[in-house]
Amino acid sequence: MRHSLIGAILVAASALSTLPGAAAAQDVRAQLLERGAPAEFADQVAAIVANAGAEQLPTEPLVSKALEGWAKRARVPQGRVLTALNQYVVRLQTGRDIAADAGFDPVPGPVVAAAAEAVGRGMTREQVSQVMGFASEPAAAATGLTVASALMAQGLDAEAAIRVVGDAYRGGRAPEEILEFPSALTGLQAQGQDMAQIARRIMQGGGLPSPTAPGMGGRGNRPGTVPGGSAEGQKKKKGTSGGQ
Amino acid sequence: MNERQGLSPEAHRFLDGEAAGDIGPEDRRAADQFEQAVQSYASGLETPDSAVDRVVMAAVRAEARGARRQSVWQWLVSPHLFSVRPALVAAAAVALIVFGRVLIDVPGVGIGDRPTGAEAQATILVRFELRAPEAQRVSIAGSFNEWSPEGVELVRNATTGLWTATVPLHPGEHEYLFVIDGSQWIPDPNAHAQVDDGFGQANSVIVVGPRGVVRS
Amino acid sequence: MGSQSDAVLVRRILAGQVELYQVLVERYRAEFGRYATAMLGGDADDAADALQEAFIRAYRSLASCREPERFKAWLFRIVSNQCHNTRRGRRGHLRLDTIEDPPDDSTERQLEANEIGRTIQAALDDLTPEQREAFVLKHIEGYSYADMAVLLEVGEDALKMRVHRARDELQRKLEGLR
Repeated sequence: MRHSLIGAILVAASALSTLPGAAAAQDVRAQLLERGAPAEFADQVAAIVANAGAEQLPTEPLVSKALEGWAKRARVPQGRVLTALNQYVVRLQTGRDIAADAGFDPVPGPVVAAAAEAVGRGMTREQVSQVMGFASEPAAAATGLTVASALMAQGLDAEAAIRVVGDAYRGGRAPEEILEFPSALTGLQAQGQDMAQIARRIMQGGGLPSPTAPGMGGRGNRPGTVPGGSAEGQKKKKGTSGGQ
Repeated sequence: MNERQGLSPEAHRFLDGEAAGDIGPEDRRAADQFEQAVQSYASGLETPDSAVDRVVMAAVRAEARGARRQSVWQWLVSPHLFSVRPALVAAAAVALIVFGRVLIDVPGVGIGDRPTGAEAQATILVRFELRAPEAQRVSIAGSFNEWSPEGVELVRNATTGLWTATVPLHPGEHEYLFVIDGSQWIPDPNAHAQVDDGFGQANSVIVVGPRGVVRS
Repeated sequence: MGSQSDAVLVRRILAGQVELYQVLVERYRAEFGRYATAMLGGDADDAADALQEAFIRAYRSLASCREPERFKAWLFRIVSNQCHNTRRGRRGHLRLDTIEDPPDDSTERQLEANEIGRTIQAALDDLTPEQREAFVLKHIEGYSYADMAVLLEVGEDALKMRVHRARDELQRKLEGLR
């Protein structure tokens, strides 16, 4: 029976706990069961995750996607979830290949995951490679891809999205700083600019302004405007000491 | 035999593996006897077995999972290895073995000391709003709370009909949807963008910067 | 996994392949296991505790191991410190009886061997920490002075002196038996 075969494979896989992905597979299986998923579905998901881990692919995005699929079960049949997961694995493999070609050795998980997402959002291999080329470090590559694909999803031209990330890194900006770009884009739109204008400005080397600059429109969560504000969030975290 | 007790310099050199040319037979015998005694002791030593590996890896996985839970996108170069008190590690290790999964969402534990000296990744408080006057319940399910529709409940303003919640999010990209009355999954019109969720549906996306979010 | 070098494993673990840490744990539990037991009065349970704690600490600060190629020396320092801490925490605990008495049907030779073992352990426990460590690394783990110098960041001459003194102490106690 398919179910017990998969179950047996999983038991064997988790016994050989040196296999990467075995822990993630156990984790997603346990979480799905806890949320009322049928055992066969949980086993099949866990098998996909375990195989991905064994291939040295990052498993975290798969686990998250599986839980998302199960959470949306009223509209997404289980078969569709499994198909989507398998498609995700293919995108992760593609992401890994692109990263390896771009010179990452070893290939860091976050870069593979970001590349897979970017490909899923319609970035071409060349575009993904291009963004990776701006970044010598995994942090910059992963964030660059995330931001570029977010800007594209907002409607910005691919060329401009890639250009603004490249210019920022060349100009010495840190990955955290470019995370502000989608907000900046929204701010400019709130000021009345359209995407074509914004893209033109970027292609002329004008970049994107800081979203918290005066005159930038839109509603924001700037420190102090939300009860507690982000400063309090920081204080809470920094105050925590870790005894050893 | 030596009155000095102990070994002769020649015996020491011999045991050090140096030229044995000038060692006399008595010293040689003493050195051999010594070595034999030590090896007999060494072979009787009981050493820690693979139980050590299991305990260590359980703790390591628990810490890695706790780190992932705090930040879905590990987008800094070195992983941030969170400091967890040893008692918690041991408890987590036991829980891992027994339940197959560990919940390390203990307030105050998690983001703490960073032995590497890197800055702690502070969260940003982000406000979510939805106008849904007819709804009985509104929550948010997203990548930051493992898509659990019970995760984040919004609160309704009776006058305006506006549902709001403030959520601490790490800098980076987050996908999510509003869930109305436990069954209707709807996008956030105020998000940065909508993207395909891979299941033929749409997810809302926001990208949180280190200083907050600006949305339409 | 084959035999990947420490440096490769460390880099991959830092990149997110956390499971690979197990390879390092297995490798160095075997290598440092006897060192830990000998340093902790022959008590394998104490040694297990010390190694566990050391490996967990090492994982937590893995990113601060600046040269993955020198992982072994870096890890050794953590293990050595942890043995020291464990030992300090158990001061006063009688350890001489942790080497089990032999079963009744053992031979004359075994009885003698056990007595030698106990004597050596007692002698080791009487040494200074530096002498004990140097002796254990030289005679139990079989390191060369050159390797020990790298591991402990101490000159070979100083190490030789420590080992010689340790040997003399042990020899005196062993001669007391004969």
